[in-house]
Amino acid sequence: MGGYCEAILAKALRSVWDGNDALAAEVAKDDLSIDRLDVAIDEGVLKALALQAPVAEDLRTVMAIKMVATDLERVGDLARNIAKSARRLAAHDEAPTIPAMLVSLSRASQSALRRSLDSFARNDTDLARVVLDDDDAVDDLQDEVIRDILRELESHPHGASREVDVIMVAKHLERVADHATNIAEQVILVAEAKNVKHASKLAGIGSEN
Amino acid sequence: MSQLRIAEEEVEVSENLNAMAESQRPIGLSDRDDSRAATSRLRMRAHEVDVHYGDTHAIKKVSMDILEGEVTALIGPSGCGKSTFLRCFNRMNDTIPTCRVTGEITLDGRDIHAEDLDVVQLRARVGMVFQKPNPFPKSIYDNVAYGPKIHGVATSRPEFDEIVERSLVRAGLWEEVKDRIGEPATALSGGQQQRLCIARAIAVDPEVILMDEPCSALDPIATAHIEELIYELRGHYAIAIVTHNMQQAARVSQRTAFFHLGTLIEYGATDEIFTNPREKRTSDYITGRYG
Repeated sequence: MGGYCEAILAKALRSVWDGNDALAAEVAKDDLSIDRLDVAIDEGVLKALALQAPVAEDLRTVMAIKMVATDLERVGDLARNIAKSARRLAAHDEAPTIPAMLVSLSRASQSALRRSLDSFARNDTDLARVVLDDDDAVDDLQDEVIRDILRELESHPHGASREVDVIMVAKHLERVADHATNIAEQVILVAEAKNVKHASKLAGIGSEN
Repeated sequence: MSQLRIAEEEVEVSENLNAMAESQRPIGLSDRDDSRAATSRLRMRAHEVDVHYGDTHAIKKVSMDILEGEVTALIGPSGCGKSTFLRCFNRMNDTIPTCRVTGEITLDGRDIHAEDLDVVQLRARVGMVFQKPNPFPKSIYDNVAYGPKIHGVATSRPEFDEIVERSLVRAGLWEEVKDRIGEPATALSGGQQQRLCIARAIAVDPEVILMDEPCSALDPIATAHIEELIYELRGHYAIAIVTHNMQQAARVSQRTAFFHLGTLIEYGATDEIFTNPREKRTSDYITGRYG
C-alpha cells in the first residue's frame, strides 16, 4: 500500500510539472487500488484481532497497521487532489510558473513519506524520529511558497485562479508530510510502547505524562 | 510560456516495503491455509444424530460435516455434549452401556453403523487423542508399533521401523526421542506423551483424527507445539477437535461448531463465527457474557 502511495504521489506531481492532463486523469483510477487495499486491511486486522487475540508488541503492531493504512489512504486522496489541481492548471492557455520552492517542498514531502515507510518496515525508531524532527522544515517551506505566491499576486492579480491551484498543491504536500509524521509516531509506539502523538502541544500545556 | 522541466526522478519505492509485501507474513496459524492447496473434501457426515444416556437426551438432532484439509472445532460450555458428539464419529460411545446413538453417520459415504462394518477397523481409520495422554506401559517404539502390529499393517522389522519413524516425524517427536526409542514412554514429559499419542494414531494411517481437549492437561509451550502440529497435520487428515478454549478454536480451526445443551446452535467458518456470529447465543458465549 505504501509503495502504491509513493508511486501515485510521484505520478500526480509529474502531471503538475509537465502539465500532463492525461497522466493526471490516471491518478483517480490509481487511487481506487489504494482504497481497495484499505478495505482489505480492515478485514485483515479484524480477523487477526478476533482469531489471534494478539497482545504486547503483536497487538501494538496490528493496531499500528490499521492506523498507517488510514494515513496512507489519505495520502492517496491527497495525490488525487494534487492531480485535480494539475488538470485545472493544464487547462489554462498559459502554464503557470512553478515556484522552485514548490519543487523543494515536493521533494521534502516525498522524502518524508518514503522515510516514514522505511522506518515502519524496518522498525527503525531513529529514522522515525528524523521524520518527526524534519516536519517543521516542511511546514516552513509550505509557508514560504504561499507567501511568495501572495506577494506575486499583489503585483500580478490576473493570474489568481492559476495560483490558487499552486497554493492548493502546496497545502496538499504539507498534509502528505503530516501523514508521514503520523506513520513515524506509530513506529515509535510499536517499538517502544511510547505514544509521542501531539507531543509538542501536550508538552506546551505542561502535561504530566 | 515554457514549463519548468523537472529532471525525471524515479521514486524508488521503498525496497523494504516491497520485500515486506512479497514475503509471506502469516498473520496466524489458520490464516496460512489459503496458500496451501487444502482440499475441502467431505470425509465424515453426521445427519440428525441423537444420543441418549438412558433417559437423558444428550445430543439433539445434530447434523455436521468433517472435511479433509480442515480443522473443525467443537466449542461450548461444560456439559453441552461436544465430547459425546465427538465420540460418535468412531463409535466410542458403544463402550458406554447406557448410551444409545441414532441417526446417520457416514465415513466416505458409508454408514459407520452398518452391520458389515468392522468397528475395530473404523477406529483405525478414525483415530482419537484424549485429554489425558495415555501412553501404553511400553517403550516409545512399541507404543507406536502396537497399532500397525495388531492391524496387520506391517510384518517385518524394517516395515515397523519405517512406520514408527514416519509417525514420530509427522508428530514432531522424532528428533527428541530417536536416540532413546527403546525407553519407556512413561518417562516422557506430558507434551511429549501427547505427541506420542498422536504418533500412535497416525501410525495406522487414519483418514480422520478426533481430538478431545488434547491440550487441557498441557502447559502453554506444549500447547503451542500441539497447535503447530495440528496445523501441519491438517494437510494430511481431517481433524475435529473439542476444546473449551475458545482462543484455541479461533487459532487452529477453519470451521467451528457451537454446542449448547445438546443442540448445535451455529456451525460455520471460524473467522465468521468470531467476527460476526449469526446467533445471539453464540455471540453471548464467545464474548463471555454467558457460560
